[in-house]
Amino acid sequence: MSNIIDIKDLSYVYLPGTPYEQQALKDINMVLNQGELLGLFGGNGSGKSTLAKLLNGLLYPSRGKVRVCGIDTSIKELRNELWKKVGLVFQYPEQQIFEANIYDEVAYGPRNLGLKEAEVKSRVYQALEKVGLLPETLVNLSPVKLSGGVRRRIAIAGVLALEPEILILDEPMAGLDPLGQELMLDIIKKRQEMGTQSTIIISHNLKDIIALADKIAILEKGSLLFYGEVAELLENIDILSRFHLELPDYLQVVYALKARGKRTNRDISNLDEAGLELIQIISSQKGN
Amino acid sequence: MNDIKLGQYVHGYSLIHLLDPRTKIICCTFIVISILSNHNFWYLLAYLGLILAAIKYSGIPYKSIWRSMRGIRYLLLITFLFQAVLTPGEGLIQLGALSVTREGLSIGLINLLRLVILFLGSILLLMTTTPMKLSAGLEYLLLPLNKIKIPVQHFTTIISISFRFIPTLVEESIIIKDAQRSRGASFDSPKIFSNIKSYLAILIPLLASSMLRAEELAEAMDSRCYGGNPNQYRMQSLKYRRVDIYLIIFMTMVLFMGLFLG
Amino acid sequence: MSGRAENMIQLIDVSKEYKMADSCRVALQHINLTISEGEYIGILGLNQSGKSTLARLLNGLLKPTTGQVLINGMATDSPQEIRQIRQLLGMVFQNPDNQLICPVVEEEIAFGPENLGLPPEEVNKRVDWALELVGMQEMRYHAPHLLSGGQKQKVALASVLAMQPRYLVLDEPTSMLDPLSRREILEHLCRINQENHITIILISHHPEDLLDAKRLILLHEGSIYMQGTPKEVFKDMEKLKAIGLKRPGLYQLIQQVEEEGYRIDDNIKTIPQLVEMICRI
Repeated sequence: MSNIIDIKDLSYVYLPGTPYEQQALKDINMVLNQGELLGLFGGNGSGKSTLAKLLNGLLYPSRGKVRVCGIDTSIKELRNELWKKVGLVFQYPEQQIFEANIYDEVAYGPRNLGLKEAEVKSRVYQALEKVGLLPETLVNLSPVKLSGGVRRRIAIAGVLALEPEILILDEPMAGLDPLGQELMLDIIKKRQEMGTQSTIIISHNLKDIIALADKIAILEKGSLLFYGEVAELLENIDILSRFHLELPDYLQVVYALKARGKRTNRDISNLDEAGLELIQIISSQKGN
Repeated sequence: MNDIKLGQYVHGYSLIHLLDPRTKIICCTFIVISILSNHNFWYLLAYLGLILAAIKYSGIPYKSIWRSMRGIRYLLLITFLFQAVLTPGEGLIQLGALSVTREGLSIGLINLLRLVILFLGSILLLMTTTPMKLSAGLEYLLLPLNKIKIPVQHFTTIISISFRFIPTLVEESIIIKDAQRSRGASFDSPKIFSNIKSYLAILIPLLASSMLRAEELAEAMDSRCYGGNPNQYRMQSLKYRRVDIYLIIFMTMVLFMGLFLG
Repeated sequence: MSGRAENMIQLIDVSKEYKMADSCRVALQHINLTISEGEYIGILGLNQSGKSTLARLLNGLLKPTTGQVLINGMATDSPQEIRQIRQLLGMVFQNPDNQLICPVVEEEIAFGPENLGLPPEEVNKRVDWALELVGMQEMRYHAPHLLSGGQKQKVALASVLAMQPRYLVLDEPTSMLDPLSRREILEHLCRINQENHITIILISHHPEDLLDAKRLILLHEGSIYMQGTPKEVFKDMEKLKAIGLKRPGLYQLIQQVEEEGYRIDDNIKTIPQLVEMICRI
């Protein structure tokens, strides 16, 4: 089974039948293959967090079907099964830490699964390693005194310890300094290299997503504005023109040149090549 | 994103909504005095009618009031039963070792009525008055206490900060609850211990973030020179109209009537 | 009195240490800095570089361990002058949620002016003015918790502006915002600096936030590591890399082009601007 996520005609309405009724998602269709990384991009109120909650059964669809790892998420009895397969890391997860030491915090999920303590321990150690922390020196420390970036990695380890097939990260970079963001990228890339685990990154930062994702979904006011591979997105002039300031730097150059009708002479895939292209343009103009 | 909460302000333009908050607070105080100083069943029943009429007039649907009443139904029931059973007097019905007395029934009924009136009165006040107006009204009415060195402004600042942060706190607790639920926390497990643990997993982070918030708020207030001045800007919104005066006169009459009847 | 300089912020050999149970952490050491009225200063540094401490020293939320912080000649450790200092120097903080105090937007903005003891008419005028400055007039009667992060931060900005400060210190005001709100806030700051002549001291850990600054101060481990125009600071890639910072792509491109002998205008702030300029050469 390669379709790890299969969403058909999904709609979701908040508080139906009240004056506060609000359509959060409208007719979403989406398929994600196992091992792929999906970047979910959208602004405030675009419905991206609602979609995440629908994927791990915190919400049920108002209409349509969501199947995750073959499980229909609208079946209440299968919800426990679903939580084992879909790990959801919320925004600012460091604010949800509650145990007195790191070991217990990371072990909270596995223990809820009813695993034996030996298995719990090996999962805690593995999870801490995956987020770049050294478990031996850390496990007995109190999370309170650590920096925000380290606390966030502990919180992510707490979800990784559930060994989910799909990991959903909501704004994993938000509020971190460049060094912390670099570390977060490493964690995500490492997971990606395993090749079999799927990841969904929710972000209002297109830059972060483009650098990582296989597929990109853009939500706007609850509708899917775009869904496809990164390469397809880069061909889609309409969408790029709306978000061109949010592209990675080298793509901003490519887009700005395209928008002025300039044809680029080389394949630009990084900033150095973009710079060379600019120099080329200057010298050719001087030549004329 | 959740249901309308107990006592949450519901926007409207009824006469009750437009009353000056001071009028409403004074009337509520009168209600408390009159029903606590009075034992007359018929007087209390009339009072209940008065409040129900006011609710009808305010345009708040009875349905939502009824729903919030359900929240305190056990409290009401227990109050009534205790009074009915524990008051000595002429026995009416024997329930094992306990007997329901005539005196108990009547006292129980009176106290039940009192509680319902108090509850409805405060719900009406909260549902028809914005937090801002409410704290402006309170601040104005409490201002004289300043003369005897009670820092009224600090008190009203605390109230207004609570109004500001209750929705934020609710939102936050929903997020934390979702986060712990997706790590397998259960909130309706048959095992009491695991439920307690699950709630701790919400309360501890909530407490931690509230402490941090308090610290940051204090900084923000300090850096904007907070010193506990009277909030004149807020009190600017207060305005007495003729109807306010009529209402206060009417309520005063009702109050005195009750005092004489009692 | 000699040395009492009006119209500027002076930090004279300022150090700040935090005493802990069994240790002592030095947050800032021997900082000497002068900021004149009307400047746009960017302060760049990673976590723990001391930049938040610096912000809190400026308006007296913290007192220096040694040295002196003078705002228009007034020392921040003098209790008599602290009120006046805080009126002169407003602060906007990182978390938009934790700095809004009142249940309604207009009250929030009135909070500062109220505390200054201004008459209600004046307070009213300032609320109107500040709301207009950040384009939030329509939200006047809204509750803060119903606003988006970006809107909250604009309200926070307006509520400080309503005190009509001469200096505005912003401690990572955009780090919790989406890119669009971030750009909006930065644009407002630029305008406030140019049109209202309010000094901007913008603190951030993202180099991209600080491209509008006229002077960039790079803090590292409690000391000033580099200082200059953004272009000067971002030229030295090695030195930036050494402390874990990347320079903005724009400046890499500019340097690449300039090394070929073409001069790029200092006013270029975005990549589309750069491309446009190059296409016009």
